[in-house]
Amino acid sequence: MRSVIMNRITKIYPGGNRAVSRLSLSLNQGEVFGFLGPNGAGKTTTVKLLTGMLSPSDGNCEVMGIDPSKEPEKVHALSGVVTEHARMYDHLTGMENLIFYGSLFGLGKEEARQRAENLLKRLALNEAENQRLSAYSTGMRQRLSLARALLHRPRVLFLDEPTSGLDPESAQNVNRLIRDLAVKENVTIFLCTHQLRYAQEICTRYGLIEEGRLLAAGTLDELRRSVSPRITVRVKAAGISSDLISLLHLRKSEREDREAAGSREICLETEVSSEKEIPDLVRRIVSGGGDIYHVSACLPSLEDIYFTLTAGKEVRS
Amino acid sequence: MKTAIYAVIRKDFKSVTDNRQLFLPILLVPVILIVIIPTIFVLTIYFVPEEMGDLETLLSMLPESAGNAGIQHTILRVILNNLLPVFFLIIPIMTSSVMAASSFVGEKEKYTLETLLYCPLSLGQIFYAKIMASFLMSMLVSLLSFAAMILVMETEIAVMFGSIILPSLSWPVLLLLLSPSVSLIAITLIVRGSAKAQSMEESQQKAVFLILPLMLLIVGQFAGILLVSVWLLLVLSAICAFAAWILIRGCRNRFTCESLLQ
Repeated sequence: MRSVIMNRITKIYPGGNRAVSRLSLSLNQGEVFGFLGPNGAGKTTTVKLLTGMLSPSDGNCEVMGIDPSKEPEKVHALSGVVTEHARMYDHLTGMENLIFYGSLFGLGKEEARQRAENLLKRLALNEAENQRLSAYSTGMRQRLSLARALLHRPRVLFLDEPTSGLDPESAQNVNRLIRDLAVKENVTIFLCTHQLRYAQEICTRYGLIEEGRLLAAGTLDELRRSVSPRITVRVKAAGISSDLISLLHLRKSEREDREAAGSREICLETEVSSEKEIPDLVRRIVSGGGDIYHVSACLPSLEDIYFTLTAGKEVRS
Repeated sequence: MKTAIYAVIRKDFKSVTDNRQLFLPILLVPVILIVIIPTIFVLTIYFVPEEMGDLETLLSMLPESAGNAGIQHTILRVILNNLLPVFFLIIPIMTSSVMAASSFVGEKEKYTLETLLYCPLSLGQIFYAKIMASFLMSMLVSLLSFAAMILVMETEIAVMFGSIILPSLSWPVLLLLLSPSVSLIAITLIVRGSAKAQSMEESQQKAVFLILPLMLLIVGQFAGILLVSVWLLLVLSAICAFAAWILIRGCRNRFTCESLLQ
């Protein structure tokens, strides 16, 4: 089932700024979709369009079959939202905030308290539950926002930079929670971030956006195929003749050449179209008198794909 | 959905009572207007009983019934029933302005409005809850202030002059008709400006437009041009109620989530 559908959606702000341009996407129930792009690319605007905070200038969208621009409150009942600008009340404690928002989502006081206790424990905030929010750090506030968004067990979760301001341990904790939500509870996650390495750890599918336009969408393998179908093979070896290097179309690896500086080993790399070609390459180096210390096959990372798509550069790896 | 609306109202009340900067004016202004100023009037009359030359003109303008009692009682009655009602009106205007500014613009300023908009309440329900919170706070403070004023003033009069002076019919008209209407006008003026206002102080300035006609009314009392009476208050209540109705009617449809979050 498609839980989020965007159909040629466009948003032009008063003043003429085109934040999102003819964006079409769909998300399956239970997937973690990484919506990636630099600051100002249109990620937050897209979240606001999907949650009914903004009305599209053209096109339409649906969340769980409901048009957010027409019935935003129905979309809100089924979804949870964490954005930088959606804060909670400083004069209330963490627990009081969650009970308040729980009551807005129709939870009874006791039910909201139990759910809040459970979420605060999962997000390692249980010790701060009776502290006023004014005493919370940025990371604690961020985690409390996530707890608030999960109070009513949403079917779709919109997360805008959910790990910004978190220390590595908290970020890992949040990642685990997000993954569990998708896998165990079948929650669809729409995750906006400009941290590509973070996205690659957690997402099952990606959409890359720049200046309001969708550059590409798909799984990591699909994106790799779309930008560069070839695999880079890196070899650390010694005793290879220059004839063999040119025969096998090897070139010196800039990245690892520095590591090998001063030793007799050299770092070389070449491109192959499939992993099946690697054993033959190794065999030929060894039979040519070379000693191999290390071989690795490198696929383009999300970062490489992103830079290729945005700058039209060659895949870095 | 009623539970959610009550939750917003309770939270808005707590937002103001927990914030010293907001709660202090709500507490201090009524104390000054309905305890300190009346006490000064009562003490002045008690200690300067013979100085009445300048008051003869004012007393001659009063209805005959007012002039039959002793001079001191007559002056006290004028203060309680003509002067203080006009001062008193500042209380609902100030309370509803502070509360509405905190409830609408304050939430926008602190980025909590967006979170509220992500809840399954329609914009209309959020507006209703917030207008109700401001209105109820204004009414509560007005009624408590009136009770405190009567208690303090009657005690002072009883102790100093040996009798009490009953409030006239103007007071129920003021408390039950004019005060609610004026509160609603103050709230709607602030709500209407909330989309553009970027700070609470900026939005509270709108209430100045309501204080200005009030100042004229106060001057009117001192100059004897337009004395407060039941009929005057009834007419003012009708005008204010109509103005409040017009303002509220157009209020909700002016806003979308988009315009509020700009």
